[in-house]
Amino acid sequence: MSERLEATAKLYDEAARELDQAARHCEVAARHFRDGEVPRGAAHAWAARGHLVEAESRLDEQAREHSGRSLPEA
Amino acid sequence: MSRGAYLMSLGLVPYAEAFALQRSLAGAVSQGAIPETVIFLEHPPVVTVGRRTETDVELHIPENAAVEIAETDRGGKSTFHGPGQLVCYPILDLGNHGKDVKRYVRDLEEALIRTLAAFELEGERIEGLTGVWLTRPPRKIASIGVHVSRWVTTHGYALNVDLDPTPFTEWITACGLEDTAFTTMARELDRPLSTGEVRHAAIEAIAEVFALDFEELPADEGSGLWPQPIHASLASR
Repeated sequence: MSERLEATAKLYDEAARELDQAARHCEVAARHFRDGEVPRGAAHAWAARGHLVEAESRLDEQAREHSGRSLPEA
Repeated sequence: MSRGAYLMSLGLVPYAEAFALQRSLAGAVSQGAIPETVIFLEHPPVVTVGRRTETDVELHIPENAAVEIAETDRGGKSTFHGPGQLVCYPILDLGNHGKDVKRYVRDLEEALIRTLAAFELEGERIEGLTGVWLTRPPRKIASIGVHVSRWVTTHGYALNVDLDPTPFTEWITACGLEDTAFTTMARELDRPLSTGEVRHAAIEAIAEVFALDFEELPADEGSGLWPQPIHASLASR
C-alpha cells in the first residue's frame, strides 16, 4: 500500500474512533436523561459533541487533501 | 475581565465515568466546541494511582476493603476518593491562563485556601509539597493532581470535607508521604459538614482565581445554555 493511502486510512481510523466515543457518550447521556439526572446527561451530551467535532475535522482534512488533487471542471 | 465557563455539579459519579467524561470534555474545550468547564462531584470509594505511583510500596489495601482501584494519567502518586470529599475537575485552556503548569497548580492551591477561609480555616502551602495543609502540626486537607494536554487541563483537586481519613494512611501511603496526617473540614470545625455546603464557596473561589463567569448546567429541564458555535451553524442550515 502506498504511504498516501495508509495516511488516508489512518485518518478514517481516527474518525471512526471519535465517532465510537461519541456514540458511547450519547448512550450514557440517554440513560442519565431517562433517570432524570440532567446535569450528568448534559455533560455526556457535550462530551459527544466534542468527539463529533474531532471526527469532522479528520474528515475535513481528507476532503481538503482530495480537493487538492482532484481535476478542475473542464 | 471574566471569561464564560460552564459549571457542572454532577453528584456521586463512578471514577471511570468521570475520567472518560473529563477526557472527552477536554477534547471539546480544545476544539472550541464548548467553553472552559469546571466539574464538581464526589466519587464512590476508589484508590487512584498516578503516573509516579509505586504500587508495591504505596498500596496496602485490606482484602475485604470495599474500594475500587483505578489507574489514571494524572501526575502524582496514589490517593483515595470517597463520599464526603469534594472533587473539582477544571477543564481549562491554559492558553487563557498563562500557559504555566506550575502557576496553574499554585492557582488551584489558592482556590482551596480561599474555600477553607470561607469556613475560617487557615489553609497553607508547604514548601516542596503539592496540596493544601493545616499546620501546627501539619495535616493535609486537600490533594492536587493534574494532567495537561495541548494546554487543556484535566483532573484537579480533592478537598476532604467530611469523611473518614483512615484510608489515606491505612490503605495507602497517600501521595507517597510516609507518616503524614490527613484531616477533614468537619474534623477541624468539630461539626458535620456536607459537600453541598462547601461547594458554593469552592465555586466562588475558582471563579475568582481563574476569572471565570459560570453558567451552571440546569438540574432540570432548563431554558438551555449559552449559544455555542454549533447553534449558529444549525440555524443557518
